[in-house]
Amino acid sequence: MKKVSKPVFFVVFFLIALFAVSVVAGFKYYYGDNETVIIKGTDGIRFGIDIKGGVDVTFTVPEGINATEEQLDAAKEVIVQRMVNLSINDYETYIDYNSDRIIVRFPWKENETNFDPEAAVKELGETAELSFREGSETDENGAPAGTTASNVILTGSDVAEAYAAYDNNNSSGGEWVVALKLNPEGAKKFSDATAKLYEQNGSISIWMDQTMISAPRVNAVITDGNATISGSFDAESSKKLADQINSGALPFKLVTSSFSTISPSLGAGALDAMVLAGVIAFIAIAVYMIFVYRLPGVIAVICLVGQVSGTLAFVSGYYGFRDSSILTIPGIAGIILAVGMGVDANVITAERIKEELNAGKTLNGALTNGYSRAFSAILDGNLTMVLVAIILMGAFGTSDSIWAKVLSFAFFMFGPTTAGTIYSFGYTLLTGTVLNLFFGVLCARLMTMSLSGFNIFKKPWLYGAKAADRSKGGDVK
Amino acid sequence: MNRNTKFNIPVMEKKKIFFAVSIVLVLFSILSTFIFGAKLDIQFKGGTLITYLYDGSFDTAQFEADAKEALGGLDLDVSTGTDFNTGRNSVKVSLISNAGLTAEKQIALTDALETKYAENNIELLESTDVSPSAGSEFFKKCLMAAALSAIVLIIYIAVRFRNIGGWLAGVCAIIALLHDIIITYGAFVVMGMEIDANFMAVILTILGYSVNDTIVVYDRIRENKTLYKGSISLSDLTDLSINQSLTRSINTSVTTIFAMIVVSLVASMRGVESILSFSLPMLVGLIIGTYSSLFLASPLWVVLESRRSAGKEEEGSNKKKKK
Repeated sequence: MKKVSKPVFFVVFFLIALFAVSVVAGFKYYYGDNETVIIKGTDGIRFGIDIKGGVDVTFTVPEGINATEEQLDAAKEVIVQRMVNLSINDYETYIDYNSDRIIVRFPWKENETNFDPEAAVKELGETAELSFREGSETDENGAPAGTTASNVILTGSDVAEAYAAYDNNNSSGGEWVVALKLNPEGAKKFSDATAKLYEQNGSISIWMDQTMISAPRVNAVITDGNATISGSFDAESSKKLADQINSGALPFKLVTSSFSTISPSLGAGALDAMVLAGVIAFIAIAVYMIFVYRLPGVIAVICLVGQVSGTLAFVSGYYGFRDSSILTIPGIAGIILAVGMGVDANVITAERIKEELNAGKTLNGALTNGYSRAFSAILDGNLTMVLVAIILMGAFGTSDSIWAKVLSFAFFMFGPTTAGTIYSFGYTLLTGTVLNLFFGVLCARLMTMSLSGFNIFKKPWLYGAKAADRSKGGDVK
Repeated sequence: MNRNTKFNIPVMEKKKIFFAVSIVLVLFSILSTFIFGAKLDIQFKGGTLITYLYDGSFDTAQFEADAKEALGGLDLDVSTGTDFNTGRNSVKVSLISNAGLTAEKQIALTDALETKYAENNIELLESTDVSPSAGSEFFKKCLMAAALSAIVLIIYIAVRFRNIGGWLAGVCAIIALLHDIIITYGAFVVMGMEIDANFMAVILTILGYSVNDTIVVYDRIRENKTLYKGSISLSDLTDLSINQSLTRSINTSVTTIFAMIVVSLVASMRGVESILSFSLPMLVGLIIGTYSSLFLASPLWVVLESRRSAGKEEEGSNKKKKK
């Protein structure tokens, strides 16, 4: 093995230390009262509802109904709109088209005291009340007022369908629009209203429950029940409005197929205990490793700090290119297992170095042999772990993720289930194991080889050699 | 045999004892299902569990009757306890229904209880409601993930350890793994813990841990096989490899097991049951995982591998005779 120069240790050590501190503290600055987060710290970690408390509910369509994709998209829009109205902003929604399910999860907000989860869930599942109203007058709460309140032109039952379309025949080139098809009764009402409003240069506002979702101006009298709504839409926003309009015409009401709420106090205790236990266990492992393996033990502890920070960084969304992931109790189990693998990698190597030294090798020879012989066991152990993690992520993640697509041959018959907590296990295990190969193998080797260049670190005892063997070595020369 | 290793446990000589211990533990774990009864969490079997916090006291039988009335006569179970975080009393209402409890019904129940037991300050702590079909689907998905993992691991070991007869080594690793999982399951049943998502997390962790442990021993056998090039017998080779890996196995296990003991102690002092039901069975699994990779997977592999190569030689000699 090539010699590693002396300063390498300090460079690697400094980088790991800097990384660990930045992961925990994050990096943000204040400009007046505005906080700008450059790097998210560990306080930015989003905990799953099993830790933080929250609501996890799966909606499905009533028995005997087979919903189309459009209908499910529309139903999801209703739920999202209502969550926004309830000022629930940190939510996840997922639609499974095969089993007609909509999964919704949201954690408690900070300092939430009088939130009624049961009522919220009931409200989320209600059919939306869609209305097209004259004008766009609102009161201070955003609810319809004046003529807008009194003059309802159309309701959800008048709409046959709405869809996003790309309109090529436009003076200003092509643009995204929402196409609206009304049923005969609706067409008649719409024709009358547009005739009146076109003359007044008025507008028609579209409402979902008590929220205005769009307020297009009337540019033509529409007599055949086929209208288009245009105005700076892109593919996404036109689909969203179409979904929202469709939601008012849903022929069914959503029912809950599974529903769980966890109080925030229940989760907080679990998190505190886990953090306390984690800190104590880490210190104990550090003491044990240093006591048993001496110098390689110290290196191992530095590498473990790097590995744990790296995993937390992936969870907190430290790297700009990766969104934060949600940490659950099984996710913490994944971190523990990965740390165990990290300890193991260092133990395997340190044992090998010790063996080589006790067999009479020179320090340099023992380090070189130790690292190269230990590597195959570490690699195989970690790669099997990576495979298992990938399978778990594929099985229990959302079905549009990459691993789910790879593994769809095995899991296609299952819909996504509410226990997404296991995905978190796979995620932390995968990142932890890959990071272990970087820190526990590469960084550890660089640091140890670099330190062994210093005269004070040349004593075989520091690497676990038996004292007796050292005196034997002395006899030989 | 002394090859200058710290330990000299004649594993191969005593293999029958190890096999017997494993068989007894596995049988006991399977039987424990019938003796103690496995508590399948509603996540797997479907049903509803609602926990409320309350102050003071009330007549549990009356409470049960009131809850039943509020739900229109559905069969339910009521049990009381204490919530460690708040120090308040808790009451659990559980029901196994064929149809999930709708949010409407749950609201009706909470409202009825809140009015009837106003002086007890009833407050919803948590609720879980899973329809039986969603529960069994989740269970099947878990089994599928486990089966797929086993197949992938066998293939991986077969390829990476082909110079020590990879396929058999892979199968032995999976047998050891099954052994660990069954015994961990037994620990859950004996400790009276529910088979829930925590159970899955433990099983998955043990799966990873056990296979890694087995691979470390296999790696040593693979290396020694090249090193000694057939100069010693398969069982001596395995004995040597096991004893050489023993210090590593002990040190790794001590650290992981110690970490789990710390987690269990902190959790029991803080009264966090959800973590305790995770860390205690994990402890059992970790110990069993270490045991099985040293004393079950490798000796079993030697027995099967010797039998296979003996079979091959016989075949070979038969062919020679025909010539």
